[in-house]
Amino acid sequence: MGTELAVEDRLIALLGKTLGPDAVLSPATNLVGDLGLESIQVIEYLCEVEDHFDLAIDEATLADVQTIGDLAAVIRKLGKD
Amino acid sequence: MALLDKFDAARRTRDTLAALPLNPTDVVIEEVLSATEAMIQGRRTIMAGTNNYLGLTFDTGAIAAGQAALAASGTGTTGSRMANGTYRDHLLLEREIAAFFDLPYAMVFSTGYSANLGSLAALLAPGDAVLLDSEAHASLFDGCRLSGADIFRFKHNDADSLASRLRRLGERASSALIVAEGLYSIRGDCAPLREFAAVKREFGAILFVDEAHSLGLYGDHGRGLVEQEGVAEDVDFIVGTFSKSLGSIGGFCVSAREELPLFRYASRPYIFTASPCPSVIATTRVALEQLRTRPELRKTVWDNAHRLYAALAELGLELGPDVSPVIGISLREREVAFACWQALFNAGVYTNLILPPAAPDGGSLIRCSVTAAHTRAQIDQIAAAFAQVCRDIGVGRHAAA
Repeated sequence: MGTELAVEDRLIALLGKTLGPDAVLSPATNLVGDLGLESIQVIEYLCEVEDHFDLAIDEATLADVQTIGDLAAVIRKLGKD
Repeated sequence: MALLDKFDAARRTRDTLAALPLNPTDVVIEEVLSATEAMIQGRRTIMAGTNNYLGLTFDTGAIAAGQAALAASGTGTTGSRMANGTYRDHLLLEREIAAFFDLPYAMVFSTGYSANLGSLAALLAPGDAVLLDSEAHASLFDGCRLSGADIFRFKHNDADSLASRLRRLGERASSALIVAEGLYSIRGDCAPLREFAAVKREFGAILFVDEAHSLGLYGDHGRGLVEQEGVAEDVDFIVGTFSKSLGSIGGFCVSAREELPLFRYASRPYIFTASPCPSVIATTRVALEQLRTRPELRKTVWDNAHRLYAALAELGLELGPDVSPVIGISLREREVAFACWQALFNAGVYTNLILPPAAPDGGSLIRCSVTAAHTRAQIDQIAAAFAQVCRDIGVGRHAAA
């Protein structure tokens, strides 16, 4: 459980770096719907995430990712593989 | 959701744009006066937002060749080369493109989009890995997606980001495909191809470069950024288009790899498309010859690029990092970008308004492009229009502190 929270906290911290200190973020935050991020900003954020977690995430894996929580689940899965 | 409900968002976007004094997605060019001027809303307008880099759309030789081809061979081929036959001139153009690049193999496609789609869909298959620049053109992304390969995006123009992703792929890296462009079409920035080539060599990957916007502009022979950066030996496949510097329509892929001719049997976008019509092939061949034999066109477009870039930089506008015939002006807020674009239009200068999601950084841009056909006086008129707009709207040096 502790690890799960850590992944989400780290994702939120990374996104906060992009969006600034005023952004209110939670695991339920929708990357596109809530934040209005454009696709290119999402790609740039995902590049940061890949570098941070030292993972390679292909586009198809991201197809169903809507929220920070979804992304955390992908990272946990790839981390176990 | 019903099938057609998905158009609700598009309908709202269209209606919002339609309510504007001038809808940027619906500009009607009523009459084309030359390579650099057109009538829009009944007014003579300088075209500073085309991709007509060498200004060849009204080349008299190309027009004559196109007219002769129409008379001799008709209006269209009415079918695919694989099913309905290859015209001799398709082969001649392919030979001439290959010779121009000093490479053994060339394939011609009906559009630049289908060249990218068709080449990537032939090269890649499910289970393959492709590394794609985060700002790569939609046609490159679509080609990768059509192939079913695993797509990994790397940070725009960042060789370290590319290398780190290849490293994570482990053994797959040695058969991975790296896809980048030469000159990027929105901000006018260039790929670090020498660095990409070094990464490609380190991992033993395959390198694929789209020179759509760089053909005719870079290199001693005008072949593109690959030539200018001296990395031709490292680039396995080059794709490009006829619809920009060559002023027609169509696309190509060239390579030293003997597999390229086999794309004809593997590329669905090639197999299932009607081949380029005879007049297009004819005008493209003449334009290619012009590109090859008139280096002064290249010199003129670059002189114009430097002149306009310097003038816009002097106004304190936020420009792309590289001077090129594509000048992207970042304006951040959508409303400011639209106001500037409209004011430029009112001043008789047509530019391109780039709004999210097309803008690379999520902001808004005005894209300007220059051609070899612009006169120095026209470049100065474009710069003067920008100066007026900066004063009136308060951007660049005139922005409120």
